[in-house]
Amino acid sequence: MTIKRVTFVQELLKFIGLEGRLHLEWISSAEAQKFVQVVTDFTEKIREMGPNPLNVDNVIKGAI
Amino acid sequence: MDIINQVEQLFIQNKIDIFLGYKELDGHLIPHGFTPDNLDELKELKVSENRYSLEKIATHLSEKDPDLKIGIIARDCNQRALNLLYTWKQLKPENIEIVNVNCCPSPLKPHPDCSYLEPKQSGEFKKEHGIDYNAEPDSLMETFNNNERFSRWMYEFNKCIKCYGCRNICPVCFCTECSLEHASLIEPGTLPAEVPIFHLVRATHMAGRCIDCGLCEEACPSHIPLRLLYREVNDIVSDVFDYKPGEGMEKSPFTIIGDDVVLEPKPMDFQIQGEK
Repeated sequence: MTIKRVTFVQELLKFIGLEGRLHLEWISSAEAQKFVQVVTDFTEKIREMGPNPLNVDNVIKGAI
Repeated sequence: MDIINQVEQLFIQNKIDIFLGYKELDGHLIPHGFTPDNLDELKELKVSENRYSLEKIATHLSEKDPDLKIGIIARDCNQRALNLLYTWKQLKPENIEIVNVNCCPSPLKPHPDCSYLEPKQSGEFKKEHGIDYNAEPDSLMETFNNNERFSRWMYEFNKCIKCYGCRNICPVCFCTECSLEHASLIEPGTLPAEVPIFHLVRATHMAGRCIDCGLCEEACPSHIPLRLLYREVNDIVSDVFDYKPGEGMEKSPFTIIGDDVVLEPKPMDFQIQGEK
């Protein structure tokens, strides 16, 4: 159910142009390596995408 | 048999206590409840392309009087809305009597009775960019890239004047408590309306519930393409959960109300007593 609900939000965000900013991953408490890897990868991905266009500062500056 | 006779018969056979239809007032058709006490008034019953969520009035009436038998004018969209309202126990199917009217144009029908037949081209942005009200979500995805979609939707959402018309007209908006009026979620008294939270909250709540009648978009004074947005969320629900609202009598597997109903829809209590 979670994966379906998250898929829903991902698709909705994609539709309004905020694609790729939500990620879901199952990580056990024993999988420290995997946790680090996932967080690092996602951080890298977000950094490449740049700041959230919905950031309040951007809104004030009229970036939208 | 014309519609007035049909309704008269329903009254004579004592099948209904009130009939929800339209009556002309100062040149406009407005929703009106016809009662057997005043049968002469039935002559004024009219059907035109004007639409209103009559089933929403029906839910309010049955909230006050659960056993009231209601007759109602129904097009395809009303029928879908009624199915959904039955599903969520907002109305009892045995208390509703339907009188069908024309929906789509056909040479076999003298006149189409729906205001939604021609794609509208209002709104300057839409005129410039050639997106009409009847666009399909897929075409938007194909035409615009991620950034374009973002600026397009932010433009549309920014036009919102927070009149709540979309929610108020919506036949399937029946929650007792509305998230859009929750002060910690949507700040009251400010414009523009919490972009994009306001519209995304509503879109999410419409997922698996919207029956695509398009009344929200007709009601919107700012011409926000709401139907397009809600079509998209329903497409997602259809893809991910394999559910189409209003078709059958099953509840949507995707619902913000949850499996156990904590946000009690009205007037659920009188029906649920016998069931559980």
